[in-house]
Amino acid sequence: MASDAGRKQFWKRNASRVPGSIQHVYGAQHPPFDPLLHGTLKPGAKPPTTPVKLKKISTFQEFESNTSDAWDVGDDDDELLAMAAESLNTDVVMETANRVIQNHSKLQEQHKLQEEQVEKEQPQQLSELPSAACGDSRLVKSVSESNTSSSADGADEVISVPRSQSLPQASTVTLVGGVTDHSSSGIPMLSEREASRLDKFKQLLAGPNTNLEELRKLSWSGIPKAVRPITWKLLSGYLPANIERREGTLQRKRKEYFAFVEQYYDSRNEETHQETYRQIHIDIPRMSPEALILQPKATEIFERILFIWAIRHPASGYVQGINDLVTPFFVVFTCEYTEEEVENFDVSSLPAEVLQNIEADSFWCMSKLLDGIQDNYTFAQPGIQKKVKMLEELVSRIDEQVHRHLEQHEVKYLQFAFRWMNNLLMREVPLRCTIRLWDTYQSEPEGFSHFHLYVCAAFLVRWKKEILEERDFQELLIFLQNLPTVHWGDEDISVLLAEAYRLKFAFADAPNHYKR
Amino acid sequence: MEAIWLYQFRLIVIGDSTVGKSCLIRRFTEGRFAQVSDPTVGVDFFSRLVEIEPGKRIKLQIWDTAGQERFRSITRAYYRNSVGGLLLFDITNRRSFQNVHEWLEETKAHVQPYQIVFVLVGHKCDLDTQRQVTRHEAEKLALAYGMKYIETSARDAINVEKAFTDLTRDIYELVKRGEITIQEGWEGVKSGFVPNVVHSSEEVVKSDRRCLC
Repeated sequence: MASDAGRKQFWKRNASRVPGSIQHVYGAQHPPFDPLLHGTLKPGAKPPTTPVKLKKISTFQEFESNTSDAWDVGDDDDELLAMAAESLNTDVVMETANRVIQNHSKLQEQHKLQEEQVEKEQPQQLSELPSAACGDSRLVKSVSESNTSSSADGADEVISVPRSQSLPQASTVTLVGGVTDHSSSGIPMLSEREASRLDKFKQLLAGPNTNLEELRKLSWSGIPKAVRPITWKLLSGYLPANIERREGTLQRKRKEYFAFVEQYYDSRNEETHQETYRQIHIDIPRMSPEALILQPKATEIFERILFIWAIRHPASGYVQGINDLVTPFFVVFTCEYTEEEVENFDVSSLPAEVLQNIEADSFWCMSKLLDGIQDNYTFAQPGIQKKVKMLEELVSRIDEQVHRHLEQHEVKYLQFAFRWMNNLLMREVPLRCTIRLWDTYQSEPEGFSHFHLYVCAAFLVRWKKEILEERDFQELLIFLQNLPTVHWGDEDISVLLAEAYRLKFAFADAPNHYKR
Repeated sequence: MEAIWLYQFRLIVIGDSTVGKSCLIRRFTEGRFAQVSDPTVGVDFFSRLVEIEPGKRIKLQIWDTAGQERFRSITRAYYRNSVGGLLLFDITNRRSFQNVHEWLEETKAHVQPYQIVFVLVGHKCDLDTQRQVTRHEAEKLALAYGMKYIETSARDAINVEKAFTDLTRDIYELVKRGEITIQEGWEGVKSGFVPNVVHSSEEVVKSDRRCLC
């Protein structure tokens, strides 16, 4: 282990590198620890004395170097810790860090052996620490190689690339992130932590009555890939908690959906509905080129799901953007039936009955999601207008500098954040990140509407450095419409979510307290 | 370093969904054709410099709007601050041509007290075999509304440069003649960055007039 001084120099030298460490997601447990919530801290009060005696510590770096024995599992985290120090206040950092230290010392021994292997095999690979869900090794690696904090290059690169091309197509990164099951082949490591998380999920899911509150808590920090399909169905309210009723419910709902198809789908060629159908029919093939969706079988499924939903919800009908919302469900539910990576998967190899199940399940879960945000898509899109205003108001309070900078250069929030709301950030981050994001959205009350707002605020402020470097309207707007997230993985989302949670807690319940 | 430009014009591109607005703009600003392109939601922003005469450069800021009706409440906020517009229809889609009138009404209602100089663009002219709108009738319609008409293809890069630069030149002429003036609180035209020469439109107008004499 390096000395304190050495460590400091180390992270300074590596300021441009963002590691894929998973250490920083300690705030992403559900519910993330918050000193205000736990009554250990009052706003404005001095930091409490902690077991590690850290009075008057002003930066997380100092804190980190004082407690370096607790962080001895790899220097790659330093950059991230520095980032965290910028965005987290010291009090929160100290409290949460304490928890990590405790967890860590418990698990340290278990991990030691594994870490040695990791370091041998992949020097870039980061240590495994108790924290929220992390992706498989490839995901972590891709993140550590990315360069998200160095702005200019990334931004330029993206400016010249059309949006639809800016997301990875056949990258080495898995499409569906999340923790991988023991049983799936080819994935070398499953940490103790991941294994025990998966066990917890399995226990919860196997019980005669799944405790949904517990399931939400567990899911908040990411759902293992192996149990994601059933967990999503439970969290969305599609499946009942009672295990004995599940199969019957599934059968009934699937039947009900195909009765709708029977009843309505022929009307797509009638005058009243042909415009709706025409638009859907045109939009599906031009969606982001995830190979899976572009397969004819999948295209048909998407068309039916969207058309049936649209004509059953005439107040909104089909609005572009809704088509994106089918994708995560379709991809996750397809994973239930294949061991293969979905990007190479031939949908038509599945039996017709299985495809029907995927279709009906996707329809119902998407419907549940849309129930919560339908005013985003009704006339004049009042839900979006309102949320963009709230976002502006929120950002003005959490980061006045960013807010003023945008204002000064006459960038309006609606100009970049409209799409963030209309497509739930799906156009801004790769699909695997959206799926991870939705683990949490489905665990949060009003995740897709209310919590999403805080995620958007955290997302904007995440680019503070780059935003402040842009000096005119044009560069700002082009940057904000083409954010360099191509290499993002679960870790980036976990950081974002932890920050969003902190914002939600700090600003939602005391709206005027922090107002300057 | 900031490139030097005489004026900055804001343009807006409108027309029915899937007539090819985003592809046309991408061809113009990025020089390539995107095979797939997610439907635009709300408004996207693009920019490019064009040289209308040797040494005379104009910075174009281009708003790419969503064509779907539901986004109208968002997109119509952008008419007011645009000096020029490309109104697209798809020559293989008769309906998109029939809606041209509606688009003009829509803009007229929301651009007051300003005006937009429009060019009518018949897009996807590479698909001539599937044509549903003749050049003649499109030209007639354009004439009736006092617009120029041009046929373009983003796929084959036909007339894409011309569509944007002709419109830019026309606006530039109007600015030179003083028929369009820079106004406080209006983003349509801004005077640019011309070291050691002139800064306000007034002076530009004068000096240009002198040149013409």
